[in-house]
Amino acid sequence: MPLKSYEHCCSTIQALASLGKIEGVVPLLHGPQPCLYQNQVGSMSCRPAQLVTAGTLINKSDVIFGGEQSLKQQIVNLYNKYKPRYVFIINTCVPQLIGEDVDGVIMELQEEVPDLKVVYCNTGFNYPRSMPLGSDTSWAALVRAFPEQEKVAGSVGIVGRTGQDAGNMAAIEVYLKKAGMQTFVFPAPHINEMEKIACAESVYSIHITNHLTCKKLHDRHGIESRFIEIPAGIQGTSNFLRAVADRHNNQKLHDLVDAEEKRVQPELDTIRKSFAEKKVRMLLVTGPANEVSIGKIMAEFGAEVHVVPCMKNAFYKQEKKIMQERYGVTFIEDDFDTIEDVIDDINPTVVAVEFQAQVESMKRFVPTVINMLYLTEYGYDYALDLGANFFANLKQPVYEKWQTLMEQYGG
Amino acid sequence: MAGDAKDFRMQEIHTPSAFEGALWAAMGITDARTIFHAPPGCSINQHVNVLVNDWTAELYSTNLSYADVMQGAEDKLEEVVHKVIKKDPTAIIVITAPSVEVTQDDVEGVANKVGFQNTVIVRPPIGGTATDGKDAALLKLLDIMQTEADTLPNSVNLIGPTYSTFNWMADVCELKRMLAGIGVTVNTVMTAGATIEEIQRAPRAGLNVCMYPFDCGVEVAKEMEKRFGMPYMDDILPIGFESSARWLEKIAGFFSLSDTAFVREEMQSAINFARSNMFFTVTFEMSAALSFDNNNTYAVGISEFFAAEAGVTNVLCSVSSDQAAERVKEVCGRVLVSPTIEEKGEAFVATAPMAIFGNFYDKKISMDQGFQNFIFADIPTIGYLSTENCPFMGFRGAKYLIQSLVNEVYMGIFLETKGEMTGPISTGAVPWDIAAEEALMKVSEMIPHFVRSTAVKKLHQVAEQTAKERGSNVTVGIIQEVSDKYTPTKFKAKFSAVFEDNGESSPEPAAEDDEEIPVDSLAFGMPWEDDAKQMLELVPSPFRQAAVSGTEDYARDHGYEKITGSIVEAFRKELGM
Repeated sequence: MPLKSYEHCCSTIQALASLGKIEGVVPLLHGPQPCLYQNQVGSMSCRPAQLVTAGTLINKSDVIFGGEQSLKQQIVNLYNKYKPRYVFIINTCVPQLIGEDVDGVIMELQEEVPDLKVVYCNTGFNYPRSMPLGSDTSWAALVRAFPEQEKVAGSVGIVGRTGQDAGNMAAIEVYLKKAGMQTFVFPAPHINEMEKIACAESVYSIHITNHLTCKKLHDRHGIESRFIEIPAGIQGTSNFLRAVADRHNNQKLHDLVDAEEKRVQPELDTIRKSFAEKKVRMLLVTGPANEVSIGKIMAEFGAEVHVVPCMKNAFYKQEKKIMQERYGVTFIEDDFDTIEDVIDDINPTVVAVEFQAQVESMKRFVPTVINMLYLTEYGYDYALDLGANFFANLKQPVYEKWQTLMEQYGG
Repeated sequence: MAGDAKDFRMQEIHTPSAFEGALWAAMGITDARTIFHAPPGCSINQHVNVLVNDWTAELYSTNLSYADVMQGAEDKLEEVVHKVIKKDPTAIIVITAPSVEVTQDDVEGVANKVGFQNTVIVRPPIGGTATDGKDAALLKLLDIMQTEADTLPNSVNLIGPTYSTFNWMADVCELKRMLAGIGVTVNTVMTAGATIEEIQRAPRAGLNVCMYPFDCGVEVAKEMEKRFGMPYMDDILPIGFESSARWLEKIAGFFSLSDTAFVREEMQSAINFARSNMFFTVTFEMSAALSFDNNNTYAVGISEFFAAEAGVTNVLCSVSSDQAAERVKEVCGRVLVSPTIEEKGEAFVATAPMAIFGNFYDKKISMDQGFQNFIFADIPTIGYLSTENCPFMGFRGAKYLIQSLVNEVYMGIFLETKGEMTGPISTGAVPWDIAAEEALMKVSEMIPHFVRSTAVKKLHQVAEQTAKERGSNVTVGIIQEVSDKYTPTKFKAKFSAVFEDNGESSPEPAAEDDEEIPVDSLAFGMPWEDDAKQMLELVPSPFRQAAVSGTEDYARDHGYEKITGSIVEAFRKELGM
């Protein structure tokens, strides 16, 4: 493993951030104070509301004697206060270590408060890498608890990357709707809407992060789920939509894609030309999985792309193969010590990293973008907007100015 | 009466005069006593105005009555001078008010008669600017300067900071620190916080440094060169990291000192600051409007620093001199020279900055327009507490400028995107019109990346809540309303085009909205073809005049003499519509 962890955040924060975006679900952090504090503060930047998080604040006594009683009481407290559809226990490292019987607590509560639905998942050191798995595992736990629903004939579902996608998947959803396909989205801002994914006849993952969720949709609700490719960039979006169109014999969707391809082609050509002139070599490192999707967009524009992926599940492997064959993207899966070492090795002209790595990339005056700012990255127009403004937002002259300044005055 | 009602504009009264300038220069000398030879109203206003910006400021007055003014007020002045002498000042500075300048009292005669040694008389020119007044006062102070002693080694004078110069205390403190870092002392500050002894020994410094060369002090430096043979420096503004280093390097070079170690340490700190996650991430997508009608030096220095070292886009800069305008136009989108408050307000809307630096009037007018992110950076203010702590100049000033900008905007925008602490995330499944979904996607592209995801969530949630309350789908009209009210910064003019392109009708304006402004009633500065005028029909009424001004500026910048439909279209594209 690298000397530092370069990922976006802990899997606990990812679970909290994803669940914290669903009305009707109240997350409960089961862990000691530092865990609760860091995860609450760390997730503040990405949660729309409900900024105060419930926690069990495991103390020394709980560690010795077990914290099941306080866990149970806190669940009841939450239910009495908020009457949520689900209380979701995010089980962090310490309670897992001491072997807390969370299942037992849930069973007891089911008998005592039948209307109360409690779900849980394990996070923390279960996922020393692949922080987005915090989202996936929490979603899978929710899906397991969803009631079974009657399938709507001809309907499709799309499953996004993490909680940030709730309410933000219009870039793909709009085409399916225009093509007359009843579409269910997951995640959604309200649990009632989110549960409807169980009505879909088939489900399409639109990112690599949700493998467990899609598997659970299949195993628990009998929904056929597929990963085609991430609908990011022009070709990626078209291929995704056309594959859906083929599977559902939907000519209208094909026609919509034809029209969009015609619309976006001139701007795509302009962007490609600018990338060819500027010869971009981009290194993207372990974001919340968007290092893969943004890397895909950049590669389509003509950049030489190197990706350090945050996860290596089945969906990743499929997407990796597509990106390697189509665009020649390099995936760095071997361990390294620091990002500085990787930068020295590859000599990129731009890097996309998280904050921990920015401290290193700036030492080399390499233009740096922060992964966590480039989310909901689907569809044609996101890609065009990213490409059209890429060099302007990069502000390369500012890095050059600083390099000169430091050479002249910095010693 | 001549002129239509619609041509009437308020006279601009937010720029200080030569009288303010002279008083500020005088009152800053701590052991001198300033007498304002003026009616009581003038004295009260001037005194209170200075106390709004500076901690302690003494001002005496002759408190002239109408009779005094009409009959000659020399006796009154003589009486007051004698009383002030009893307070044992090191100098008396008499400044005449406009009414005295009209009656031309023999103030010099009174001073000669009283015979107090260090009496300085300043007669500011009626119609002069604050710069004129400051320079007039500083030039008069040259008369009490002493030249007999030797030059002090490695010492400079800082010329320019006076009372009521925004942030002078912190800037002087920082520049003194920097100079001390290379072994240079400040002999005299002219004049804020100085003593008469320091003013008198000013010629003993080795070098005069003009702190605000785009505003005042250069004339004084030139005169000191003429009278005392003192060299001066006015070509580098110590604002931003690079310019601060160059400023210090030049002074060190002048005295044959080494600045290397000190500057190296400062630059190491600067690069660590630049490596922080909140600097470039936020500033690269930030735009600022710089309103510095009363501090051209700040306008030039800050705009250049922001553009070159912070990646901030200066969308608008307001100055009061052509010299400053010529310089800032290289790094600013739109430059105004001594604009009216109305023109500035229109410019704020047209350029839609994320943050505005300015004075009290800028604050108020921008608030009225819906802008929320503001940093006080100029006078007039109506109550602004300054200390040595927050410079704009120097290495620490560069950090503080970025710190204040980032914290103001980031947290402001950020919190705007959040719901209530324990508020709802969603009101439930609400159907959306496809056109509404598409409109929201287009709106999101205009929001900076560092808040885009959370800002769009807020818009999404509020749109659904609104639709639920009305029992409807989420429509384009609802998205337009919500974008108007809840976007992190007021991009009204930019966003309006999103809704025009959707071809959906906007919701009926609420009762409190502005009235419809017919296109024919707008003020056009250039000829407009009919098709271009027709395009104005699509702009919401309150923003039509701003759209006209913006389009005409664009046309002039590109050498067009007439506005056509294609020029309007090209301008919209440049704005990102």
